[in-house]
Amino acid sequence: MNSSLLTPSSSSSSPHHLQSPATFDHDDFLQNFFSSAPWPSSVLEDDAPPPTSETAVTSFHHHDVDSRNQITMIPLSHHNPNDAVDVNALYSGFSAGSLPFHFPQGSGGGVMKQSHTPTQSQATASTTTGGTGATPQTKPKVRARRGQATDPHSIAERLRRERIAERMKSLQELVPNGNKTDKASMLDEIIDYVKFLQLQVKVLSMSRLGGAASVSSQISEDAGGSQENTSGENQTAAKMTEHQVAKLMEEDMGSAMQYLQGKGLCLMPISLATTISTATCPSRNPLVSAVKEAGVLLSPNTATTPAVDVKGASVITVKDASSVSTP
Amino acid sequence: MASADKPINTDVPEKDVFALHFLQSLSNLRRQNAFNSPDDTTNNRVKKIKKAAYVSMARAAGGTNRLWSRALLRRAAKENNKVVIFSRRKKRVTWLRRSNRRDPVDAERLRNLLPGGGAMETSKLMEETAHYIKCLSMQVKVMQCLVDGLSAK
Repeated sequence: MNSSLLTPSSSSSSPHHLQSPATFDHDDFLQNFFSSAPWPSSVLEDDAPPPTSETAVTSFHHHDVDSRNQITMIPLSHHNPNDAVDVNALYSGFSAGSLPFHFPQGSGGGVMKQSHTPTQSQATASTTTGGTGATPQTKPKVRARRGQATDPHSIAERLRRERIAERMKSLQELVPNGNKTDKASMLDEIIDYVKFLQLQVKVLSMSRLGGAASVSSQISEDAGGSQENTSGENQTAAKMTEHQVAKLMEEDMGSAMQYLQGKGLCLMPISLATTISTATCPSRNPLVSAVKEAGVLLSPNTATTPAVDVKGASVITVKDASSVSTP
Repeated sequence: MASADKPINTDVPEKDVFALHFLQSLSNLRRQNAFNSPDDTTNNRVKKIKKAAYVSMARAAGGTNRLWSRALLRRAAKENNKVVIFSRRKKRVTWLRRSNRRDPVDAERLRNLLPGGGAMETSKLMEETAHYIKCLSMQVKVMQCLVDGLSAK
């Protein structure tokens, strides 16, 4: 951090009177300090440093060693008591250079800008009061850029919000109907879509076997209701089966499905049943129990009857001829 | 936390990877004696198939690199009384839940939906959701193809 901050100006300035060997960072910092800030002429000269400035620098350095975050300007005021104005100018120049008293992580890059910020006077005042004898501030506030805070918490918060917004945008493309601008409604859409996908997996896993117990339990309130005979032979036998199935449905859907399965029968919606019965097998009377929803699928039985493949609803194998019942 | 984000990777393998894993798990299920006998009720079979579908999806898509797949596999292993061992990878964005407790974005319902979503940070949750949605849709496609292919006799 330090090196990036100081290299542009430290290269220009020649290392002159700062012979302190110890902390390299402080040397660079002080070099930059002296070269970039508009010094009042009485304080420092490049080639032949007056002893006051040299001692000022070394005492600067000594105080700087204490803590990196503090630069006490006390020795300067001691050495140049009548240069109060110059001290102010020094501070103003210092803050104009926007060199930080401490080195915050995030705003280091922005600090290098030489623009005068609106809080320059505020910084000046605070550092001046800190410098003239009072205890120096541990963390003086330095504005890095106009309109942005240097508080690390708010920076982190801002980054976090940006990250979340970015992810939301990528999610928007995935979810259908993702043109909502409101974040809350977008969240609702996402949640609904995830629920829908999970439900699809559930239904498809049911359809692989036959006897969709849990799906049928939801729709069984309508199914297995009143029944009427429309056509056919073997009416009584079919009716009995129907009654049996209806009774079973009221108790337990799973057993009803198993009963049907054992007989080689299946469930299908009524509209399909009528279409099929009139279209394919006019002489036969398919035994079907009408179900409200079309989420039921039976594994095709090994029957000789033709199988009808219906897209989107269910695959059925019509085996027997009986009656058609309505829900 | 100051560096910019690298592009988020939400790639999902092709359909055949999903199909392979799912069919493998289905064939494993068929070998179970308890599965094919008629005394096993329909409900149990459905549940087993559903669980097999989710587990195979987790293995196919995420493996152990995704948080939701890890949570899913851990949950499934716990039901079978087995133990899964993962290599922990602590990323900086993943587990920072406590420091962001005051977040205004309430993704509570999403956390309940997503496996393992209760312990993630919000931004990580979003990323995982995107991957999860992609994987789910791929799995649904695979299962639908299977149903269509096997049922059209």
